[in-house]
Amino acid sequence: MELGEEELTSSVKRYYKESLKHSLGQCDFNFVLSDPRLPDNPIVYASEGFCSMSGYEHHEVIGRNCRFLQGPDTDRRTVLEIRDAVREERPCQVHILNYTKHGNPFWNLFYMAPVYSRKDGTVVHFVGVQTPFSAAATAAAAPLASKKLNLMDAEKRKEARSECLQQIQGEAPMRVWFALNEIQGCVCFVEADEQEDNHKCVAKDEDKGRAACAVQTILCNLMENSRIGGGGRGVAETRCKEIAESAVGGVVCSSLMLSLTRIQQSFVLADPKLPDIPIVHASKVFCEITGYSQEEVIGRNCRFLQGPDTDPEAIRKSIAGEHACTVRILNYRKDKTSFWNHLHLSPVRSATGEVAFYVGVQLAMDIVDSAGDENVGMTPYMKQLGAVGAVKVAVRSLQGSGLRRSFKKNSEE
Amino acid sequence: MLTIKRVATLVSINQELEQAAGCGKDCLGSCCMPGAKLPLYTFGRRRSGLLAGDSDGDNGFLDSLLLAQWEDRMDKGLFRYDVTACETMVLPGEHGFIAQLNEGRHSKKRPTEFRVDQVLQPFDGKKFNFTKVGQEEVLFCFEESEDGTSQYYEKAPVSWSPNVIAINVSPIEYGHVLLVPCVLDCTPQRIDPDTFLLALQMAVEADNPYFRLGYNSLGAFATINHLHFQAYYLAAPFPVERAPTTLICHRWKKGGVKILELGNFPVRGLVFEVGDSLEDLANAVANTCIYLQNANIPFNVLIADRGGRVFVFPQCFAERQARGEVEQEILDTQVNPAVWEISGHIVLKRRLDYESATEESAWRLLAEVSLTQERFDEVKKHCLKSVFNAPNKVKVEMPTMDSSLHLMGLSGVALNGQSEHCLVLQV
Repeated sequence: MELGEEELTSSVKRYYKESLKHSLGQCDFNFVLSDPRLPDNPIVYASEGFCSMSGYEHHEVIGRNCRFLQGPDTDRRTVLEIRDAVREERPCQVHILNYTKHGNPFWNLFYMAPVYSRKDGTVVHFVGVQTPFSAAATAAAAPLASKKLNLMDAEKRKEARSECLQQIQGEAPMRVWFALNEIQGCVCFVEADEQEDNHKCVAKDEDKGRAACAVQTILCNLMENSRIGGGGRGVAETRCKEIAESAVGGVVCSSLMLSLTRIQQSFVLADPKLPDIPIVHASKVFCEITGYSQEEVIGRNCRFLQGPDTDPEAIRKSIAGEHACTVRILNYRKDKTSFWNHLHLSPVRSATGEVAFYVGVQLAMDIVDSAGDENVGMTPYMKQLGAVGAVKVAVRSLQGSGLRRSFKKNSEE
Repeated sequence: MLTIKRVATLVSINQELEQAAGCGKDCLGSCCMPGAKLPLYTFGRRRSGLLAGDSDGDNGFLDSLLLAQWEDRMDKGLFRYDVTACETMVLPGEHGFIAQLNEGRHSKKRPTEFRVDQVLQPFDGKKFNFTKVGQEEVLFCFEESEDGTSQYYEKAPVSWSPNVIAINVSPIEYGHVLLVPCVLDCTPQRIDPDTFLLALQMAVEADNPYFRLGYNSLGAFATINHLHFQAYYLAAPFPVERAPTTLICHRWKKGGVKILELGNFPVRGLVFEVGDSLEDLANAVANTCIYLQNANIPFNVLIADRGGRVFVFPQCFAERQARGEVEQEILDTQVNPAVWEISGHIVLKRRLDYESATEESAWRLLAEVSLTQERFDEVKKHCLKSVFNAPNKVKVEMPTMDSSLHLMGLSGVALNGQSEHCLVLQV
């Protein structure tokens, strides 16, 4: 999915003044800004330090998701932590194994923090700070070995150790472990010391301090240089409104947006709880088909697509009955040309079980390719249903508070 | 013989019907299948490149297809209820247990007796099995393609004993399906390397971290003794996926399967993570499960992270229930702790249980499922042995002759007899 250069630069311009570039340029840190409201949460700003750390050129980095730093030995659970911080729209700190452009692994103390809009509380950007470090101490993988050592005679232990080392013709430094098996007595294992435990690695406190300081500095810079006026109220490092609260106002939160932008179909989401059921999200493909931009569409009821010859009765019935329907309806593009729209409409429920949106998936009949084997590949109608399914999965977990953790203690409720 | 009484979940429309032979119903039996045409998805076998990071950008082919077909069956009214109308929430706390209130799932049938002390039981054609499922409940067949690419065919002649993806008419979540490998083989519920590899391949092909597959052995709350896996979508991590793990085996050679132990989680379990080879992962897990089956230890398996992480949980809840060792309060919730519950997704039948659910109550329930630490350590030893000493070559970490031994096992289990220089003892 190609992102236009304009989209990427306007992501930064929309929220911050020109002066930001200069003040961020003064920062010595390795960091990026990413935009979760663009498809796949791409990097929209990268510091010099980031580029030299990673070995990538600036242009190789802008527009891509930061996962290119991951590699074969990157811990899967750590990746889940980052993914879930994006999903829960909160900060995270992880120790992660990353790779430079040339494939060299390095340990990275990665701090990520959301930047929230002061206007509606949504996540505007994520700040990601990378602090490479060398291990303070690799986590030992055999804690039980030391427990069993207590049971053994120190002299015998020394003997066993030198025997082991003699028999194994290793040049590299060795670590010797002992384990006790109830039946067979003490067992000695030998392991080369340089074996990297890519599973765990802990940064020194000074590295952690540096990283935390970096995040703070960058966030301050963003806040000081944020645009105020023209509807915006700047950005903040903490949320002014909970996700559920923003949702009531018809704002699509960034984590839901991230799921919606994965769907390559023309569709809109409309909010039936707001007056006149306005569109709250329109996909890129919708904009391409109809000729309208997202700004021209969001906040309006879908009927602007209808014209003098359209009959919207079936749609009305479907919304009244809270059930899905498929209608063939005449629609008009921005340039006034008309097309037959094979529209599939369905209610979409959130975690509460109530209808949160109606999804309308458009299929312009004149662009349906009738040539080719109809038996092979998904039919356009199937693709529409696939979009509905993907929306339903996303909305159920991500709309409103959704399935995100809360840390309130029961006693407070 | 130990048994418990429980109500089987209805997974298919035909499950309630009388077991009539030969049907005229378009089922998946040998009466209707020859000459039948069903939708078919062929997948290209992936040999490598199974990175931790998400795939780029858009939803995948299999993903879109499965969701589309499922939504289509929803429109056709094949499900007993709309699962998206069931309230669901995350219980407050750091673990993130997910509770759902689902009053419709529970069937009104009389409870039947299930034997819980025999993990391997022979297939019984007289009982409900997946050959009796209606063809309309099948979303598509799932086979390996011949040319390494993925494709979908609306109608294709079925192979002799296809792998089918069928809907679960009592879904736990959106997209709940059943993967039945080689449906006409009538294999009883048990794990073997080939069919487990198929399940992994489905996870890899779906390429979605929120699409997981699960398996319940007999005695661990499987109710249908016909080989099947379950799968569904939930756009949130399961608590078990968040749990910290400790590496059991040091990786010596790059690219081997990693084996870890779960920590800070109410149910003790092993975690297998893929290296270079999906086949090696399948063999490692299958060998572990074969040991458990032969030792008559009930267990559950979760395939997560796009086929990259597999969790194996030996369990003993049913046995303890049969012996009357489980608290009545927990039995009253009628929760049968199978793979989804163990992973942290708990479906509750009564509103009062849903409204009073807490992280502590979820933990308490799941703690009853786990083997004790002592018993688990014993079982773990045997599982690890069965992985390394298996006849099929599993690249986990077999050191070469002139390198050092790698250490394994926290309880002193040694492995591989390759080096005579070592003091390592064979268990």
